[in-house]
Amino acid sequence: MRGADYVIKRTGFAVVTVFVAVTLNFLLFRLAPGSAVSNLSRVPHATQETRLALKRQFGLDKSKPEQYVIFLRELARGNLGVSFENSQPVIDNLKTDLANTLPMVLLGTVFSIVLGTLTGVIAAWRRGTAVEHVTVTSALGFYSMPTHWLALMLVILFAGWFPSGGRVDDFLINPTWFQHVKDVLYHMTLPALTLALVLYGQYTLIVRSAMLETLGEDYILTARAKGLRPWTIVRRHALRNALLPISTLIALSLGYIVAGAILIETVFSWPGIGRAVYRAVLERDYPMLQGAFLVLTLSVVFFNLVADLVYFKLDPRITT
Amino acid sequence: MSVALQEPGLVEAPRPARRRAVWQVIRHRPSAVIGSTVLLLIVLVALLAPLIAPYGLHQEVGPVFGHPSWSHPLGLDDGGIDMVTLLMWGARISLVVGFAATLVSMLVGGAVGVLAGYFGRTTDVVLMRITDYFIAIPDVPLMIVVAAIWGPSLFHIVMVIGLLLWTSTARVIRAQVKSVRERVYVQRARSIGAGHVRIIFRHVLPQIAPLLIANTVLTIAVAIFDETALSFLGLGDPSRISLGKVIENAFQRTAVSSGAWWAIVPPGALVAVLILSCSLIGQALEDALNPRLRVAHLSARRFRLRPLVGRGSEAL
Amino acid sequence: MSALLEARDLNVWFDLEGGATLHAVQGVSFSLEPGERLGLVGESGCGKTTTALGLLGLLPSSAEVAGEVLFRGEDVLRGGEESVRPHRWVDVAMVFQGAMNSFNPVRTVGAQIVEALELHGLAEGATARARAGRLLESVGIPADRARRYPHEFSGGMRQRAAIAMALACEPSILIADEPTTALDVMVQAQILELLDGLCRDFGLALILVTHDLPVVAQLCDRAGVMYAGEIVEEASVETLFHAPRHPYTRLLFAATPDLHDDGAPVASIPGAPPRLDRPLVGCPFRPRCDRAFGRCADERPLLKRLEPAHAAACHLNDVPAEVPA
Repeated sequence: MRGADYVIKRTGFAVVTVFVAVTLNFLLFRLAPGSAVSNLSRVPHATQETRLALKRQFGLDKSKPEQYVIFLRELARGNLGVSFENSQPVIDNLKTDLANTLPMVLLGTVFSIVLGTLTGVIAAWRRGTAVEHVTVTSALGFYSMPTHWLALMLVILFAGWFPSGGRVDDFLINPTWFQHVKDVLYHMTLPALTLALVLYGQYTLIVRSAMLETLGEDYILTARAKGLRPWTIVRRHALRNALLPISTLIALSLGYIVAGAILIETVFSWPGIGRAVYRAVLERDYPMLQGAFLVLTLSVVFFNLVADLVYFKLDPRITT
Repeated sequence: MSVALQEPGLVEAPRPARRRAVWQVIRHRPSAVIGSTVLLLIVLVALLAPLIAPYGLHQEVGPVFGHPSWSHPLGLDDGGIDMVTLLMWGARISLVVGFAATLVSMLVGGAVGVLAGYFGRTTDVVLMRITDYFIAIPDVPLMIVVAAIWGPSLFHIVMVIGLLLWTSTARVIRAQVKSVRERVYVQRARSIGAGHVRIIFRHVLPQIAPLLIANTVLTIAVAIFDETALSFLGLGDPSRISLGKVIENAFQRTAVSSGAWWAIVPPGALVAVLILSCSLIGQALEDALNPRLRVAHLSARRFRLRPLVGRGSEAL
Repeated sequence: MSALLEARDLNVWFDLEGGATLHAVQGVSFSLEPGERLGLVGESGCGKTTTALGLLGLLPSSAEVAGEVLFRGEDVLRGGEESVRPHRWVDVAMVFQGAMNSFNPVRTVGAQIVEALELHGLAEGATARARAGRLLESVGIPADRARRYPHEFSGGMRQRAAIAMALACEPSILIADEPTTALDVMVQAQILELLDGLCRDFGLALILVTHDLPVVAQLCDRAGVMYAGEIVEEASVETLFHAPRHPYTRLLFAATPDLHDDGAPVASIPGAPPRLDRPLVGCPFRPRCDRAFGRCADERPLLKRLEPAHAAACHLNDVPAEVPA
């Protein structure tokens, strides 16, 4: 297989990065000042047995290096401790939260990628014209708006038209599957729209920049000399080549969307992983905070690896 | 085989320090001009806030969420304090954090980039590996964790923002330094025994300065955003009022449901304007300094035809 | 009967940042008969590449063009991009510098040749692929290489593939812009031989743009010497070498080391070409000329026909007492 060693190398790098991230996680939380943070067994409202069990599980009375090993072992088992807030296993909480976040983030991202690519190509195509200036300025404008502020703006704007909080209507009793989905989508609109607007600006600029660079390449001149129509050249040659940096940058940004999701979910009280982070900070729920942070870091590493592999697939020049 | 023609002036002369180039770029692009002007204005107002703020920062001048009026064009916040005053003082802190964090980031990123690009080989590999690991860490969550664990002081915030933003600078600078290092006059300086430090400061830095400036400006924008995000999540320095804190207060004290849009829209708009100004400047600089963006073999506009003027060449 | 290709008073201006314009091509005229081989020679920056690109309307949007380009008597520039595009590749094809990325790196070489064939309706699908293979063979590349990507080809092979692609639509004219620059000496010789053979076999007319004089000597019958955006002398290659009527030509060809004449000093022309973003007064070559006199500073020499196949733009040719060097 072409470039098998490239794939292996990049996957290996991802694995090492995961390791680094996990270690960082451990260092941050276990080596923090005071035992409030580092002591995973201090679950309020838990029984004495639960606390003792946790103490044993995580070896909280042992030395730090030993704790580190135990931490890794428990992590491999999926044991991230128990939430201080609702006394449930952290891992279960995280699963629910992640399942709530993903559809919303996906919706917003897909929309912004499509819109951003369109406007980016147009801006590059019509370089030097008013259209380009307007497109770039509006993209920069949206890019400059703080996510949470934009979210609040939309809430103010659409008050009464779209729900401004939550994921489901608490007053909807025994909904059918169809009604439930409609309800969720209804609630998902504003948060996803916020994400879409924030990202669209960024993507427009990325696509425009990549297209401009591509349009300056020699083979574009050759394509023109061959008699191809300009739009065909853009579609078949420029865009295809620009897809390389574009897809990499998009995949990379996906890892960071989770960060933006924190702000959005806080404003809209969307019960996802972003809001879990916020609440964990508020309630000083350190096990949850640690778990959520780990998930977020791992998702970035994952998407970076995806970006590498996508690039590899698209660029035939990479063989090692 | 190319016997060709002796190219006069083939020996490459070092290009003059590019400080003037940055100034030229800014002057000639309307977007950069607007960005610079606005930024300067805001910085000025923020600096002079203690002198020109209409009211006291903690002075209660009316009811909670008082409506905008002639004496208070932007209304009052949840404590009855004049919004305009809040914005002026808030801008100070936001700008301080933005600049300070960027300074940290520039120093670290610049150093890493220069060292990696200049010395190459092992230094390069090691430094870039470290950079790659740092890139994999999502900044906002890390900032949250650090602020949550070690306490939300201004110092912590500045350090944590700065220590996360340096990676993009490092990469950009490294690429530039690598290309500068290959230039003829740098080789020549090496061959006559000039020390590394001397070469870096006299030859390399002036060449990378424009791109460094572009990167700095863009980093300031991100730093300001990060600060507002942290404040919004309740992790800002509680003893200072930044623009992010103003938004957070409004959000916490249910400004939205009270309909007090003036408590939310202006501070965020000011942040957006700040970030936009920095982005305009940085974008214009990057556009101008990227040589690959200059040539366009293809664009919607075609070459133009001029009607034949009839310059005589009598022969043929 | 009109010539195959004729350029009449071609002018190109480029917009510069800050409002100035660069007058890159200043009234260039020449004609090309079927099967004829014309060289465009000059220093870097003299406008020869711009002229070549201008013939096919391949200039960027920052360019302004005036003049006529007649293909079989029809002005192809008059209607702008729309009128010139139909002639690209089917009538006039181009081969670029060896160092350039003429091929799109993410598509196979074969696919790009097929693209030319399919675009101009000469073949489709499997037929096109077969033809692409044959074209590659005609330039000495095994047909199965068509499935490879450009980065898998060596510089010389890539250039040969570019030539194969240029010939795909059986044009009557081939423009080669510095086809051997940045290639190895051995490879250069091969490419030149290839061009020579192909032009002969297919009866192609050739416009060879280059700064490399021995290449012109080898391939071309006639050549135009360009300086500061205009043609300063045009004649057969023989004449240019042995009986030039312009000081620049003379100094140019004297700067070429002669393999047969060991010991002759290799001259180089001191100074630099004039800036083209300002209007020129007098002869553009005057600052570097060894035979300049009074009139050269005030009046710009026009290209004058001295003999049926020899034109030069120099005041020295008007002075009967002066014996040209």
